[in-house]
Amino acid sequence: MSNNFKAEAEKTIIVERLVKNFELIEKKDGILNSFLSIVAPKKKSITALKDISFTIDQGELIGFIGPNGAGKTTTLKILSGLLYPTSGFTQVLGFTPWDRKPEFLKEISLVMGQKNQLWWDLPAIETLKLNQAIYELSDSVFRRNLNELTDLLEVGKLLNTQVRQLSLGQRMRLELIASLLHSPKVLFLDEPTLGLDVVAQQKVRDFIFDYNRRNKATIILTSHNMDDLIDLAKRVIVIDKGEILFDGNLQKLVEEFAKEKVIKLYFSKNTDIKKLEEIGKIKRINLPQVILAVPREVAAIAASEILQNFPVADLTVEEEPIEDVIRRVFKGEITRKEKRLLKPKASDE
Amino acid sequence: MWRVRNMFQIFLVFFLWDTIFANSQRIVFGYDRQKMLTYIFGLIIVRALVLSSKANEVGGDISRGDIINLLLKPISYVKYWLTRDLSSKGINLIFAVFETILLYFILRPDFFLQGNILLLLSFATSIVLAILIYFLLLFTIGLVPFWVPESAWGISFLMLVVVEFLSGALFPLDILPVSVQSIINFTPFPYLLFFPLQIYLGKVGTLIMLRGIGVSFLWLGVLWLLMRSVWFKGLKSYQAYGR
Repeated sequence: MSNNFKAEAEKTIIVERLVKNFELIEKKDGILNSFLSIVAPKKKSITALKDISFTIDQGELIGFIGPNGAGKTTTLKILSGLLYPTSGFTQVLGFTPWDRKPEFLKEISLVMGQKNQLWWDLPAIETLKLNQAIYELSDSVFRRNLNELTDLLEVGKLLNTQVRQLSLGQRMRLELIASLLHSPKVLFLDEPTLGLDVVAQQKVRDFIFDYNRRNKATIILTSHNMDDLIDLAKRVIVIDKGEILFDGNLQKLVEEFAKEKVIKLYFSKNTDIKKLEEIGKIKRINLPQVILAVPREVAAIAASEILQNFPVADLTVEEEPIEDVIRRVFKGEITRKEKRLLKPKASDE
Repeated sequence: MWRVRNMFQIFLVFFLWDTIFANSQRIVFGYDRQKMLTYIFGLIIVRALVLSSKANEVGGDISRGDIINLLLKPISYVKYWLTRDLSSKGINLIFAVFETILLYFILRPDFFLQGNILLLLSFATSIVLAILIYFLLLFTIGLVPFWVPESAWGISFLMLVVVEFLSGALFPLDILPVSVQSIINFTPFPYLLFFPLQIYLGKVGTLIMLRGIGVSFLWLGVLWLLMRSVWFKGLKSYQAYGR
């Protein structure tokens, strides 16, 4: 066995040059156009993923971030075998996902915030028992996993309640149990905290963290909830318009994409704050403290200017908070172009 | 609830034919009173076995996206629906037996009981074939939403109407002109209800019976291959939208 092959076999997920095109049928409004679209459908092809590549090791917990329609869910659907890609190579646990081999499907799980597999009219325990049969779990394994999961998510008392009578948060936690009963080695979580209140979100987050550590499970998480990402993911992959813009440590993301630095000032006496606006954007005033955002490349100059012209007691220069950077990722403000523009400017400094 | 509808349908058809055969010596289209009423009653049981189905929900399952749950699990989608189909038939059969007994006491018709073991066995075989053919028909039609998600309900409904008419659920097919019959006999539909009942009533010769079972097998094979090819093509073009 060559070294190269060995290294590849150790990767849990390998994605190479993955492309996915969708065909859409355009429909204009109005009755006439409805008829026209039946007679002569106008097809439009959109590229959901253009040529993306990444690899993930066993036990990694990765955050997948990007604005709506960036291609996150499409990627997860391909990795879990729901979609056939247009081209490219994909391997998960050594399997090609869309062959949907039972041995593969027994090792993975895809949890989607807006999808439900629990039978609406039955208590959750019935669905769980059905899953026990489907995944061929022995009674002892089933009991052990079920007890563990119900304890962690604190839903032991809800198992015998008809699912339609549960609240969204309770249902989501039971959905998680149904998806994890077979202890998958690879877990795809699409918006797992969607629609949950803060307490329930925290429970789910703690649980994901714990599950990742305990089972050495590989987890890919997409979320629009910043706390999910900051708490859980060490490595993030930023994707927009079907392209990977960034792949690496969460801290690195900030260093690479933060356009601004934050200057925190404490004034020693009252002064004309308006003049500060010439130097940077005032973000918050809470005298004697003022928080100021300045372009990254001029941060040092701005700081010395302030020190010279204002009665300053204390001054710190900080990185833009992670939240702000991620917020800009969601807004789709981070693009490749910006990356190219930013770098030469930074070296000018 | 659809069982209640079923009962009323039976009543309607029963009284229609009961009136036509008011003179018990009369023979219409080769049926005497006894055989026609047995046909109607046989319909209750055979309908419960063949036409009661869960596979008509496949289309909705796909267009709503619920199919995703099953695609993610290590089970076969076709077998899953076949199992649900069969269990639904089991439930319906229990009700149908109950209904038949009830109607028997209300209407008190004279039944025609088939005594020939060989014919009964052929009857059973044709029923099993009919169940599988009907399942494959519904399942394959149910896959159309892979391409046209909004078509789920309409296309299944169209299918049900065609089946109702051409399978002999409303009237025995041999009252139609011979030329029409011979065309219908090339379709899979008469083998769902009409053909099994004809075997039970002893109305077909051995040769025609064997031919009918042969045609059923042929359709079963054709539909199986068709279903598989549509399934794999469907999965490829499936876009799993929304969810």
